[in-house]
Amino acid sequence: MVRIEFYSLLRLLLKQEKLELQAVTDETINQLLQRVQKQLPTPFLHKLLDGQGALIPGTIIMVNRRNILHLDELKTRVSDGDTIAFFPPGAGG
Amino acid sequence: MSVDRRYSRQILHWGDAKQQQIEQSTVLVAGLGGLGGTLCQLLARAGVGKLYLVDDGRVDWPDLNRQTLYTEQDIGQLKVDCASRLLQQINSQITIVPIVQRIDSTFSCPADITLAADCLDNYSSRFQLEKGIPDGLFLVHGAIERDQGQVLTLRKSLSQPLHELFAGIEQPQGDIPVTGAAATVISALMANEIYQVIFGTPELLNRFLIIGLGDLHLSFLGV
Repeated sequence: MVRIEFYSLLRLLLKQEKLELQAVTDETINQLLQRVQKQLPTPFLHKLLDGQGALIPGTIIMVNRRNILHLDELKTRVSDGDTIAFFPPGAGG
Repeated sequence: MSVDRRYSRQILHWGDAKQQQIEQSTVLVAGLGGLGGTLCQLLARAGVGKLYLVDDGRVDWPDLNRQTLYTEQDIGQLKVDCASRLLQQINSQITIVPIVQRIDSTFSCPADITLAADCLDNYSSRFQLEKGIPDGLFLVHGAIERDQGQVLTLRKSLSQPLHELFAGIEQPQGDIPVTGAAATVISALMANEIYQVIFGTPELLNRFLIIGLGDLHLSFLGV
């Protein structure tokens, strides 16, 4: 299984904290995102990806506690047992 | 009332030994806005022995909805001056060191701090603050947006650095929406965590506490 966690405004938008999906061999974060969207009634991909499918700054995506920008970005592979967190942090003080 | 009784109510809670630890501590508060303004009051009231206050801003009208240090009479004045004045009125037994500076690549960290509190309002300065503190030092990070926010404790060079955790984050354009209630709650959670760090038992080391006041939700995210 792959565990997906939503934090802060994303959790509020989706009214959901977490989701578990069967792992798919060689699946990337990008592919997983499309699969997660199909499981949820509320559209949220537009918060993460622009029209060209590139990451929109504002949400950090972590695979097993590591920001995917320090892994292989949207091509980061997801494996059975992984935890993926989506967290739009606050910026102000 | 004797000043000896100043801390009596919290000593009933955490005892003399921990009160001494608090009084022997030095905290650098970076940013004196919604988070830093309330945080430094709590630290002063608790008796933190020495506070460095770092900010280059002046009090403005939009600050007054949440920045509990300031009043209408302070508009236009340097925040560090207003803060120093009020904090010394709150607690004349502690040392306040105001530093008028924007935290950037020229930031030089005082040598005697126990920990640093990141109450800044932009990620560029946050990364420079972390860069400027010595290896091994605790950094308690706080941030806020709308009625949401987060608190996290890191140890420089032992934890994942802030610039890696927040890689890809761009500062929002324009004014950041923020409520006074959320600023006060998150400041208080930062103060609580700072006491825990001083006591040697940080609760949020390498894990975010993520606060949502919209539906009164708290969650944790390990990093």
